[in-house]
Amino acid sequence: MMGLASYLVFFACVVLVLCILTMGLNLQWGFTGLFNAGVAGFYAIGGYTHAILTAAPSPQLMGNFGLPWLVGIIAAMLITAVAALVVGLITIRLRGDYLAIATFGIGIMIQLVSLNLESWTGGSQGITRIPKPLSTWFEGSLTYNLFYLVFMVVVVALVYWALERILSSPWGRVLRAIREDEMAASSLGKSPLSYRLQSFVLGSTLMGLAGALYVTFIGFVSPFDFLPILTFQVWAMLIVGGSGNNRGAMLGALVVWGIWAASGVAVSKWVPPSHAAQGAAIQVILIGLTLVLMLLFKPRGLLGERAVVSRHLVW
Amino acid sequence: MQLPITVTRMGLNRRLLGLLLAFAAAPAAWAQSTACPVKVGGILPLTGSMAPITKKIAQSAELAIEHVNQGGGVKGCPVQFILRDDQGQPTVGVDAAKYLVDVERVQAFTGTISSGVTGPIISAVTAPSKVVQISCCSSASAFTDGRSAGYFFRTLPTSKTQAYATASEVSRRGMKRLAVIYVNTDFGTDMLRFYRGAHKKLGGEILAEVAYNDNQPSYRAEVTRALASKPEALLLIGFPKDAVTIIREWLSQGGPRKVALNNSMRTMDFVNGVGAQFVEDFFGMDNAQEPGPHVDAFNDAFQKKWNTDSKGPGVHTQYDAVMVMALAMNIAKDLSGPSIREAVRRVHTPGGTPVGTGPAEFKKAIELIRAGKPIKYFGATGPIEFDANGDVSGPALVWKITGGQIVTDRTIGLTDMQALTRRVEE
Repeated sequence: MMGLASYLVFFACVVLVLCILTMGLNLQWGFTGLFNAGVAGFYAIGGYTHAILTAAPSPQLMGNFGLPWLVGIIAAMLITAVAALVVGLITIRLRGDYLAIATFGIGIMIQLVSLNLESWTGGSQGITRIPKPLSTWFEGSLTYNLFYLVFMVVVVALVYWALERILSSPWGRVLRAIREDEMAASSLGKSPLSYRLQSFVLGSTLMGLAGALYVTFIGFVSPFDFLPILTFQVWAMLIVGGSGNNRGAMLGALVVWGIWAASGVAVSKWVPPSHAAQGAAIQVILIGLTLVLMLLFKPRGLLGERAVVSRHLVW
Repeated sequence: MQLPITVTRMGLNRRLLGLLLAFAAAPAAWAQSTACPVKVGGILPLTGSMAPITKKIAQSAELAIEHVNQGGGVKGCPVQFILRDDQGQPTVGVDAAKYLVDVERVQAFTGTISSGVTGPIISAVTAPSKVVQISCCSSASAFTDGRSAGYFFRTLPTSKTQAYATASEVSRRGMKRLAVIYVNTDFGTDMLRFYRGAHKKLGGEILAEVAYNDNQPSYRAEVTRALASKPEALLLIGFPKDAVTIIREWLSQGGPRKVALNNSMRTMDFVNGVGAQFVEDFFGMDNAQEPGPHVDAFNDAFQKKWNTDSKGPGVHTQYDAVMVMALAMNIAKDLSGPSIREAVRRVHTPGGTPVGTGPAEFKKAIELIRAGKPIKYFGATGPIEFDANGDVSGPALVWKITGGQIVTDRTIGLTDMQALTRRVEE
C-alpha cells in the first residue's frame, strides 16, 4: 500500500506539472486560436534557466550559480517571457499552419541549442544536482514528495484561479473575439496583434514555469527531455481534455499521462519478458488507439468549452 | 461459531501435509526471511530509435534470468523479471522506474541505455529510494561521479577505453593530422573528450571537430567543413546508418582513405553500405571480451536459446549486469538496497574462486556463497571488477576491414590498457 501511495504521489506531481503546461497551451490555442507547436521549446527555456541558476557549481560548466530556488523560478518565468516576446514578434503575422511550422522549428532550434551550448547547458550530459526547495526539512523521499505534491496543488490552484479570472474579464473576451473573427474584433477597435502577443507570452510563461517545476522535481535536466514527442503529448492532452476549458486541460493531462503510464504497466503484466519488444510496440499502438477512440466519441474533448453568452444581451 | 470456510477433515489433513512438505523442501535459513518470488526490474528502450539493437539486449537479459533460476535463484527463491519500455523518453523512463521500485517492489533493476533517461532515473529514483541499478549500456561518464550515492553501476567500460585505444592505434599508424566527425550525443561528446587528450598526448594534432546530428539525409556540410582543414586522416564517431552516408560523402569529395572508426561500425551493414571496395584498411576499436570458456559458454547459450548470434552492442554487458545483480543479491545479507550495494563489489574478490557464466556455474557460485567463500565472477565480457565509482575497465581490440571482411587485428589486454591509461593521464 505504501508503495502504491508513494508511486501515486510521484505520478500526481508529474501530472500537475503537465497540467500547467497544458493550461499554458490552452490559453494560446483554446482561447486565442494560436497554433503553438513549439511547446517543448518554452518548457526547455524555463527548465534550463532554472537549472543554470540554481544548480551546484561544476568545473565543466560556466553556469550553475547555486542561487536560491525562488530566484530560479522567477527568472525562469521572466526569461521564458522574454523569449516568447521575441518569438511572438517574429511570428506575429503568421496564421494557423504557418505559425505551427514556425513555432515547431523554433522548438527544435531551442532543443538543439541546449544540446550544443555545452559550456552552459552541459550538452548531452545535462545538468545535475538541481536543489529541491526545503529539502532539508523532510526526512526521506516519500515525505518530501508529499510536501512537493501539496506545493504543486497550491501552485496549480493559483494558476487555475488566475487564468479563470483573467479569462472571464474583458481581456479574455477580446481573446475569444479574436479567435472567432479577427476582422470583426479589429473593426471594433481592438488590436488583434497586440492581444495575440500578450496571450502568447503569458501562455509561454506558464510553460516556462512548468519547466522549472519539473526540473526541480526530477533534479536532472538534459536536452532529451524536450524532444518533439513532448509537444505532441501536450497537444493530445489539450485536445482530449477539451480545448477552451481549463478544467478540461487538467483532466486531459491526467487522462493522457495516465494512459501512457497504465499501458506500460498493463503490457508488463500481460506480456512475458521474452516478448517484451512486441509488447512495447503494442503499448504504443494502444496509446494511439485510445487517443483516437476518445476523439471519435468525444470530439470536443472530455469537457468541451462552455458556451458563454454575454450578460449584456437584450431580449 | 460457524467458520466462513468449511474445512473438511480430509482437506485439513491435505493442507497440513502440503505445509510440511513445503517446509521440508525449502532451504532452511533462506526462504523464511525472503518473500518469493524475488522481483528484479529492467528498463530498456524497446521502442524508439534504439529499438533495433535493444531486442537482442532484452533477449540477453532474459537468458540471464533463465540461467539464474536454473542455478537456484536468489536466496532460494525464483527470480521474476519485470521489463518496462522507456520509449527513449526520460519522463516515461522515470515513471517506469518509480513504478518498478515502489509498486512492484523490485529489489534491484537494470537499465537503461540512453543517458537522457538514465540521468533522471538516477536522480529521481535510484538515489532517493536507495535501490541498486546496474546499466549495461549507458556510457555517459558523468553518472559515476558520485551523484547516485553509490547505487549506480555499469558493466560497460566508459568510452575512455575505446578513446585511448583508438588514439594509440592512430598514433601507431602515424596518422598525426586528424579531422574528427562525431555524433552529437553523450556518447560522441564523451568519446571525443577522452580522445582529444589522448591524441595530443601521443603527439598528434586535431585540425577540425565537426558534430553531426543523427537521422539527417545529407552530411555534405559537415564533411566539407572537416575537409577544409586539410587533414591526412579522419576519425568518425557515430552509428552505422549515418556513418555510411558520411563516409560516402567523404570519399566522393576526395577525402583521404585513412579512416578510424568506433565500435558501432563493426558490422557488415557498414561495410556493405559503403561498398567493400571503398573501405579497405579502415579500422576501429571495440571493447573486447577476455577470451575464455565463460565467453564461449555465453555465446553458445545465446545462440541455442534465441537462434541468432550474440554479436552486437550491449548483449554481453547486459548478461553480466543481470548476473552481477543476482550474485550480489545472494551475497548480501538481506535484500535491502544498502546491503546489495555493498555486495556488488564482492562479486569479484581477489583470491576468490572463479565462477563463470551459465546455470551450472551459477549453482556453483551459490554453494560457495552459502559456505561463506569469496567468488570471482568471469562474465560474458570477462572479469567484472568495479572500481570505486562503479565503473569497469576492460581490454580493447583493434579490428580492420580487409578484403570486405571485418577481422580482428590485435587485442590490447587489460594490463596494456592500464599502462596506456597511466601514460595518457600522467
